[in-house]
Amino acid sequence: MNTLAVVVTTPPYSHLTITALTYVEAALVAGIDVVGVFFYQDGAMHANKDISIASDEYQSIAHWQQLHQQYKLPLHVCITAAEKRGVVMGSIDNEIVNEAFTVSGLGELVELATKASRLVQF
Amino acid sequence: MTSIMQSETQPQLTDASTALGVAIINSKAPFSSNAGKDALDVALLFGSFEQKVSLFFQGDGVYQLIANQDGSLLAIKDYLKTFSAFEFYDIEDVYVCQQSLIERQLSKTFHIDNVQVLTNKAFAVALSKHKHVLRF
Repeated sequence: MNTLAVVVTTPPYSHLTITALTYVEAALVAGIDVVGVFFYQDGAMHANKDISIASDEYQSIAHWQQLHQQYKLPLHVCITAAEKRGVVMGSIDNEIVNEAFTVSGLGELVELATKASRLVQF
Repeated sequence: MTSIMQSETQPQLTDASTALGVAIINSKAPFSSNAGKDALDVALLFGSFEQKVSLFFQGDGVYQLIANQDGSLLAIKDYLKTFSAFEFYDIEDVYVCQQSLIERQLSKTFHIDNVQVLTNKAFAVALSKHKHVLRF
């Protein structure tokens, strides 16, 4: 059984993120077991639910959310990388973290790498 | 080192399905971005979970290994000194691209011990022995 883990290090407004999304979606459509996506470095910005990208531009965060809902794709964000970029867990009133994302540590990346037969970084 | 030298004369790429551990490639200079520190954090985490991890330095990444530099002079946290703790995390294999050193006219004086300088071919062979590769 082929299993895939993906690391995303590019921000939501990067065109490289579109490549990552297209790749992950193609894998899911092909029936490959994607054990999870780990958002590290600038990739952590995806978990900020207050990010607003002009409506005529690519909506990468909405796309990750859609994959999460449709395929139960686990989305992990590195807490250190996220907090450094202002994406912090708050109370219900001021929650900044997008609920599609799980706030994790780098240990989760180790876990994903162990589970997956392939690890692909964007 | 012996096995590396042998494989250099007879390059043998390893099939990824039988390879073990994670290779982390450092390709950025130490103080212009946080990439080196981000890579180090990942390496130490894999090490503390007792996963095999090897470090590769290539391109401007080789500047991270040069002796007598101190980021704190630039108000940057001196993460390079943590490199001397590698054996504590069971990180035994540190590979450096010889070509990258030559292109930058760098001598082989590194601020940590047990560094292996490899030719392009040997560098590729060493990389292929790992199941996963991450690049920073």
